[in-house]
Amino acid sequence: MPFGMVLYESGVVLRHIYFPVDSIVSLLHVLNNGASAEIAVVGNEGAVGVSLFMGGETTPSRAVVQSAGSAYRLSRARLKEEFGRHGQMLSVLLRYTQSLITQMAQTAVCNRHHALDQQLCRWLLLSLDRLDGNELQVTQELIASMIGVRREGVTEAAGRLQKLGVIRYSRGKIVVLDRPRLEALSCECYAVVKTETDRLLGPH
Amino acid sequence: MMRPAPPNNLLLGSLGARDCEALLGEGGPVKLQAGTRVMTAGQRLAHVHFPIDCAISLLIEARDRPRLEIGLIGREGMLGVPLILGARQSSMSGFVQAPGMAWRVGATRFGRCFDASERLRRRMQCYAQVHILQLTEAAACKHFHRLAERLARWLLMSADRMQSSGLSLTHEYLSSVLGVRRAGTTLAARGLQERGLIEYSRGHITLLDRAGLESAACPCYAREKKLYEHVMR
Repeated sequence: MPFGMVLYESGVVLRHIYFPVDSIVSLLHVLNNGASAEIAVVGNEGAVGVSLFMGGETTPSRAVVQSAGSAYRLSRARLKEEFGRHGQMLSVLLRYTQSLITQMAQTAVCNRHHALDQQLCRWLLLSLDRLDGNELQVTQELIASMIGVRREGVTEAAGRLQKLGVIRYSRGKIVVLDRPRLEALSCECYAVVKTETDRLLGPH
Repeated sequence: MMRPAPPNNLLLGSLGARDCEALLGEGGPVKLQAGTRVMTAGQRLAHVHFPIDCAISLLIEARDRPRLEIGLIGREGMLGVPLILGARQSSMSGFVQAPGMAWRVGATRFGRCFDASERLRRRMQCYAQVHILQLTEAAACKHFHRLAERLARWLLMSADRMQSSGLSLTHEYLSSVLGVRRAGTTLAARGLQERGLIEYSRGHITLLDRAGLESAACPCYAREKKLYEHVMR
């Protein structure tokens, strides 16, 4: 799945559920005037298209590949077939849905109420957790559109993090140099989401 | 003993009579006082609540910050979505914002009924999906919409949930909803009052012109209402 690929638009009937392997997918809420805000990121911990089994079948969000990579995908029919076997699939997906709810709620307040520097740290950490290594292929424009702020704001925030020696930023690439520091500089939203996801999806 | 039907909670009302009876058992509804904590983030859920004429606020609490409201649950829904999804606790807390009655069902009973009825599971999953939609809307709304629009939306949501056009509210609470300081809240409320949409006095807001408020609200209000009907139909 290349960068920028749209897995589904808001309002369409979903045909597949996607399980990212080494890609990251952003769920964006699109307003009537075209503006959008990221409400969650999904990587190898989760699935894209929970509406497929939750009910309602359509989704109000748009799913866009934020970091290129691969994903497994299952058709609606195959998923239903698997549920029919009464194995672990449904209960795992439902628990994942609960962790997604936590991420959405936390992101909602974070976007509104936390300082941009903290939001940037939170965003970098959530993305980093879904990839191998300590490097993100990402432009400031992309981060700005995800957090829903102007690019200049992201440039300044990234500059401050770089000055502190936490990240190294070059064109289209961010390398995280000091992860503990990045976690300390983030708002509590990152820890809340991480703890809840590990608890829900860790060994049962 | 016959219980008064319908159960006055739209979600319960949408269940079959058998599922509803199995859930509610013999007990009657409980009265919830304003300010009561009915769910604590990170703690095991002992109950779920189906509001009848009260409203329960979903809040995110952090040690060093004021609480922030992320959702409002009334007669259209239920507090305790994690139990639908096989989780035992929530990352959010629930406080009674407007006092009133609610059906309360123990977590064990809820789980038993849930396991026993496929139809109940489906219905509840649809509601969990509504909950996700509401959070999605809330995220974008908090981010993009102006204070006055958000206040108008929130007043309409509250009035729908409480079935009343008079709302008792503290400034502190409104600030947690809107995420602004007290002065900002006052200004926004005064603005709506000057347009003849509400009457606003210390701790009390009366909705005077519903249609006017609907056009003053951000589109999220109408959107969310439509989504709820679509998913729950």
